[in-house]
Formats: sequence, structure tokens, C-alpha cells
Amino acid sequence: MITTANVLSYVIVVASALIVALILRLPLLPEKPMRQSWTISIIFPTIIIAIGLFAIINYFKVYNNIYSAIIIGIFSAIFSKYLLERAFPKPDLG
Amino acid sequence: MEEIIAIFIAAVLSWVNFVLIDIWMGLPEAPGVKGAGAIGKSIEKRGGDLGGGFFSGNIVCSPDASAGTLLASCAYYAFGSPEGGLIAALFVYFGNRICADPGYAGTSGALTTTILIWLTSFIGIAPQNFIVGMVLAALTIQGLYHPVTSKLIGKMARKMNRKVIQDN
Repeated sequence: MITTANVLSYVIVVASALIVALILRLPLLPEKPMRQSWTISIIFPTIIIAIGLFAIINYFKVYNNIYSAIIIGIFSAIFSKYLLERAFPKPDLG
Repeated sequence: MEEIIAIFIAAVLSWVNFVLIDIWMGLPEAPGVKGAGAIGKSIEKRGGDLGGGFFSGNIVCSPDASAGTLLASCAYYAFGSPEGGLIAALFVYFGNRICADPGYAGTSGALTTTILIWLTSFIGIAPQNFIVGMVLAALTIQGLYHPVTSKLIGKMARKMNRKVIQDN
């Protein structure tokens, strides 16, 4: 369940993903028009991945504390930067 | 709240949620894949609007805000908390990437639905009402009479400045 106590964990997971993604030089937002852009950025999808993964860990109470929030944030940023394009490649639109 | 009223309110909210997000994200502008284009042309041939047809085709061919709304409702119900909606948003995003779609419509649809279900839970509308409501909402667009619904979507799209830009 989302409670007041673990809302803080969600803030930490977002902050952690944001900081690591900035260090990895991901752009903050996709280029315009955003709805047609395939660029991987910080707001979309890094933060979405971080929150989604942390929700899984938090719901199943695998290891839900501040450290796991930081680790999930770091993992999400690294995943977005280096693995996402390999796991789910952009289609060949030509 | 009486269940029928709750389902009706949930259906209206789901309809507005997915139609507005899908139009805003440009579904009527162009078909994402060839299949969506074929559906759009077929609806136009039967007296419908091309933009509305592309909208229907894109909904069929990848998980857009309609699927995001339905999956977020299901996940919210299954997990019994808003975390279900957040998890649904993640998997809708991965599903979008597999379906040659950047994923903005589906993911934002799932997230806005999660917020809507959470807010309406305070007036007694349950996630299961949203599941039924979304099925009914999708039925009105995809299952009743394409020429009329596509014209309505086309008109809304032009008002929101999302005209057909790619006619292939």
C-alpha cells in the first residue's frame, strides 16, 4: 500500500533516478514535437521505469526502504541509458 | 454508491480520459503501423472520417490510452492500491515499445487513470467499476457504428489541432 511513510521513498526513487540520469547526460525532455519523439529522456521514460519498478518492490515488500529506493533509481537511469534501446529497439520506420 | 450509477460515472470519466489523451497525443494524425492505416482507410470508405479511422486503427494496433486506462483499472483492482496503476504504467510502456509506439499515450493514460480511480474512491467508485466503465467506453468507439464515431473523433481532433498529416 502507498502510505505517507513510503511516499518519501517514492520521492527518493525519483530524485535518485533524476540525479544519476543527469550525470549520465540523458536529456531532461524529448525534443519537440514530443509525441513523435523516440528520444529516451529523464522525465519519460526514466522516471516512469523507476516508479514502476519501485512499486513492484514496495508492493511485494521485497526490500522496501530508502536504500532500495536509491538502488532502483540508479538502476532505472542506467537501464534507460544503456539497455532500453537494446531490449526494446526503435522500429525501422523506413 | 449504487453500482449502476458508479459504472456510468466511471464510463464517462474513462471515455473522456482516453479520448482526450489519445487525440492530444496525435493518434488521428497518422497511422503508427500499416495495419492502422488499413483500418483508417476502410472506415473512410464506409463513410467515416479518415482521422477518426486512424484513431481507431492506432488503438487496435498498440496499447494507447484506452489500453492504459483498462490495464490501470485492472491492476488497481488486482493490487488493491494505486501501486497497481504505477506497475501497469510500466508494463504498458514496455508493451508500447514492442508495438512500434513511443509510448506517451498509453503511459500517460495509465497514470491519469490511476489518479482518477484514487480520487473517485473517496466518493465510492471502486476500481472494478472503472474496468466495466472502460469496456463500455471502448465499445462506444470501436464496437457500435464506425462512421458516426469516427466523424465525432475527427471533429474533436480538428478542434484540438490534430489534423491528418500523413495520408498513406
